[in-house]
Amino acid sequence: MYNIDKGLKERIINLNKVLSAKYEDVLSLDRTSFRKFIGQNVGMLAKVEKLSKEELSHCARKGGILGVDGSNNRMGGAYPHFVEVYQGLAMSSIQSNKPVFKTDFYTPLYFEGEDNLLEDTREGEESIRKRKLSTIEVEAALEGIRQFKPHVVMMDGSLIRYDIECFDRWMELRKECEQKDIILIGVIEDIKTSIIGDLLLEDESLDIKGYFYDRELLYGLLEYGEMILVNERVTKKSDEGFSTLFMRSSQSPAVIGMDILDTQKEHLEDMARLVLSLTPEDSRGVPLWIDIVDREVRIPNQMIRGLLESYLDREILEIFFTSERDKRTL
Amino acid sequence: MKVVGITTQQEVYVGSRDRNFRINEFLIISDPYQGDLMGEVVEAKTYNRYIPLSIHGDLADSSVIESLKAIGYNIEEDTIYIAKIRLLNEALYPIETGSDIRIPSFQEVKDLMVQSRAEEGLVLGVIKNTDQMVEDMEEQYKDLLYTFEEGKLMEQRDIPYIFNIRDMHQYPHIGVFGGSGSGKSFGLRVILEELMKLSIPTIVLDPHFEMDFSETESYMTEEMAKIYEDKFKCLQVGFHTGVRFEDLSAQDIKNLLDASGTLTDSMSNVVDILFKRNDSYNSFSNRLKMLTEAQEEGSLDRIDARIADATSDLEREGWQKRKEIYLSYDKTCPYSSVRGIIWRLHRLNNEGIFSKDIKPIEEGLHMGKLIVIQGSTRILQVFSTYLLNNLYRKRRDYKDALYKQTTADYFPPFIIVTDEAHNFAPKGYDSPSKSILKEISQEGRKYGSFLILATQRPTLLDETITAQLNTKFIFRTVRASDIQTIKEETDITEEESRRLPYLRTGDVFISQASMGRTIFSRIRAAITTSPHTENPFDELKNKVEEEDGKFLEIIKDKLPINGNDFLNVIKEIEEETGLTYPIKFFEEKLDYLVEKGHIKKEKTPFFNVYR
Repeated sequence: MYNIDKGLKERIINLNKVLSAKYEDVLSLDRTSFRKFIGQNVGMLAKVEKLSKEELSHCARKGGILGVDGSNNRMGGAYPHFVEVYQGLAMSSIQSNKPVFKTDFYTPLYFEGEDNLLEDTREGEESIRKRKLSTIEVEAALEGIRQFKPHVVMMDGSLIRYDIECFDRWMELRKECEQKDIILIGVIEDIKTSIIGDLLLEDESLDIKGYFYDRELLYGLLEYGEMILVNERVTKKSDEGFSTLFMRSSQSPAVIGMDILDTQKEHLEDMARLVLSLTPEDSRGVPLWIDIVDREVRIPNQMIRGLLESYLDREILEIFFTSERDKRTL
Repeated sequence: MKVVGITTQQEVYVGSRDRNFRINEFLIISDPYQGDLMGEVVEAKTYNRYIPLSIHGDLADSSVIESLKAIGYNIEEDTIYIAKIRLLNEALYPIETGSDIRIPSFQEVKDLMVQSRAEEGLVLGVIKNTDQMVEDMEEQYKDLLYTFEEGKLMEQRDIPYIFNIRDMHQYPHIGVFGGSGSGKSFGLRVILEELMKLSIPTIVLDPHFEMDFSETESYMTEEMAKIYEDKFKCLQVGFHTGVRFEDLSAQDIKNLLDASGTLTDSMSNVVDILFKRNDSYNSFSNRLKMLTEAQEEGSLDRIDARIADATSDLEREGWQKRKEIYLSYDKTCPYSSVRGIIWRLHRLNNEGIFSKDIKPIEEGLHMGKLIVIQGSTRILQVFSTYLLNNLYRKRRDYKDALYKQTTADYFPPFIIVTDEAHNFAPKGYDSPSKSILKEISQEGRKYGSFLILATQRPTLLDETITAQLNTKFIFRTVRASDIQTIKEETDITEEESRRLPYLRTGDVFISQASMGRTIFSRIRAAITTSPHTENPFDELKNKVEEEDGKFLEIIKDKLPINGNDFLNVIKEIEEETGLTYPIKFFEEKLDYLVEKGHIKKEKTPFFNVYR
C-alpha cells in the first residue's frame, strides 16, 4: 500500500473543488441551447453516415489510403545526455506489406551542419525535437505518395503542426498533394483548440468568464456520427490554409478533430464519412488504420535499448547515455 | 514455420504466418547444430495483433474490418499461428531460435507410432492428426479399419494405433477410464474384438449383459461379424456355469451366502461350525435342516419322545441323528441364524448356481475363446472370486510345475476383462473378488494372467491395482476427482488433463508405459454392437406401430365394419385368430386407427361405419 501524505490528499480535494466551481456554469449549460449557440456561431451541425461498400471500393480503386504516423523515444538522462530517435511510417492500405520508414535521431551532444548555434540552448532543443519528428513524418508521407499514389493521405494529428514545425517540407507535401489531386487530412485524437471557448467569452449575452477548451465543452454534446463544420471565419487555422471539423466518431463521448487543406474543402464531408467508416464503434474514436500504423511505428523501450547497446561502444553508451536513474532497483 | 522466442531443452514455441497447427501433431525441428529433433504440439494458438482482446473498448468491429477490406487491407492476413512443441527426447542444448520446422515422413515416425504388425497386435484405432505423414506408409498399415465420425463411417486416413499385445509381458494390465457416454464400453468392445481376432483366451465379466458379439453394427456388412461367431461364448451364471459345491471352502460359502443376503456374525459362525470340508450341497443342507427340526421340538425330552414314538426304524434313526446334531450344535448355533443360512442357501440353489460347474469355461479358454460370463453384479462378484481363484491357481500350478520340472496339466495364459471394475476391486473396503484381482495385478505377469479393467470411477478403484495398470485408455472424464486421480496415476500432462472434459466420444488418450508417453487416438468403429443400443423411445414407437399393423391386418378384410355389427365381427375374428376383444376396447382401437389415418369413419343417422 502507499502512504499518502495528508497534505497531498487535501490538495487533490481542493483541485476537484476548484475545477467543479470553474466549470459549473459551462457544465450546467442547457444542451439544446448550447447546440443552438454552436450552430449559430461556430458552424453547422450535421449527421453523417458511413461510406457504402461501393464508395469504399471506389476509394480503393483510386489508390487507397496512406496512413502516416511518427514516433519517438529516448534513452539517457537529463539534458544534454540523452539520445532521441525518431521514426516515421507511411503505410498504404493497398500494399501494407511495403511500409515506408523514415528515421532520424537527435542528441544535444552533436549537431549536423545545418543547425545553427543559436538553437544550441535548452529553449531551442524542444523545437528541434518537434521539427525532427514532424519532418520525418512529412518525408515518409512524401515518399509514400510517390510510391503508392494514394487517394487519401491520413496523418495522425493536426496538419497545422507540420505547417508550424517544418514549413518547407510541409509546403512540398502540400503542393504535391494539390497537384496530384491527393486528399490530405489529419485526424486529431486529443483536440487542443479553444474555438468555442473563445466565442463564448466574446458573447456578451452569456455571463461566462474563464477560458475553456473545445475538448471539455464538446464532451458528450454530439451524437454518434454527428459533426460540426467549423466556419472559416472563427478558426485561426483558416489563415494557414486549413478547414477543420469536430466529430464524434465512436460511442465514446469524446470528440475528435479533423483537418483538411482548404483547397480540398469540398471533400470534407466525404472524409468525415471515411473516418467514421474506419473507426470501430466501441473505440476511442480514432480510425483503426491510424492505430495500426501507430502500432507499427512505435519504438518500444526495449528496442531502443537493444539498438544502442548493440551498435554503440559500451564506453560511449556508459559515458553519455546511461542515466544513473535507470539503474535504480528500488 | 520457425522456432521463435526463448527456447529450452524441452519446449519451444513455433510461429507460422500461413499454416495453422493442430494439437498432438508431430513436427521435426531442424536445429542447425543438433540435427533433427522430434516434437509434439501440445498447445496451438492463433493471434492477430490488430484484433487484441481488450475489455475496455477499441475492439475492431466487423463493419470496420469490412471497410478496411474494401479499401484494400485485409486484417486477417496479419493473423499468426503459434504452437508450443514439446520434444519427445530432451535435447542436449536449448533449441536454436530460428530453426526451421518441417513435417516428418512416415519412416521418421514409424518407431514412435507403430508398435506391432497389424496381424500380431490389437488394431484399436488411429493416432489422431497424423494424416499428413501417411504418404510413404507401407501398404500393410493402410485400410485396416474404419472410424465413425459425425454419424458416418470414414475410411482410415491416419496412422493406425496398434497395441502390441506382446508388450503386456513386460508392461502388464490395462485400465480403461471414462465417464458414461465417453466411448469406454465401446472401446472395450473393440479391444475384445481384437482379442478374439488373435484367439487369446479371455474371460469377460459382464454385469450389463452387453458383451455379445453376434449382432453387427448397422453400418457394417453382415458377414463382418461372422468372424467372431465361433470365437466367443456367453455363459450365464446358474444356467450355463456355476460352482461345484464340493470345491468350496467355508470362506467361499460365506462369500456366496453373503451375496445372497448379508450375513450376520452369528450366521457366519454357524457356517464355520456346521460346514465340513468336502460337504456336498445335500449333506450340508441336510445337516442344517435336521438341526432346525430338532430345535423346533424345543427340548431334549421331546426329541427323546419322538424317538420312542417312531413308527419305523427309518424314522427312529432319523430322530436319533437329529438328537446327535442337536446335542453338539444347539448351544453354539441359535435357531434364527440357522434358519437364515437355510433360506440363503436355498435361494442360491434356486438360482442354479450349484447345479453347474466351470468346465465349459475352462474348455473355452483352452480353445482360445472369449468367454463372457453374465450375471447380476452381486452374483458375479462372488462367482468371479471362485472362478478367478480357480483358473489362476491352475495356470500357476502349471507354470510352477514347469519350473520345478514336475508334470501338471497344461493351462493357457489368459486375460480377465471387466467393466465397472470398481465394483470388483473397490478402494477402502473389502470385497470378495478384490484379493484375487489384487494378487493377479501384482504377480499375474509372471504367470501370464492379465487384467483389463474398465471403470467410470478410477477414484473408487483399489489403488494397488491402479498402480499396476501399465497402459491406460483415458476417455472423456468430467469429474474433478477422477481427473485428479488420472493425473496422479498416468504420465498425462497438465494441458492434456485440461482437455479431458471436452474429448469427443471415442477420442482417447492412451498412456502407455511401454512407449513412455501419451498417445492421442481415436478408437476405430466397432464391427459388432451391444444388444442394448436401441433407443428405448424408438423401441416404444416401433412397438406401437407393430401393434397397430397387426390389428389393421386382422380387420382389413372385415371392412367396412358397421357400428351395430361389432359383436359379429368380433366373433368372426375370434374364430379365425383366437383373439377376443371386448366391444368397448374394439371400438377404441378402431377409433385409434381412424385418428392415425389408417381407416376412415363415416357417420350415418343410425351408426358409424368404418372403412
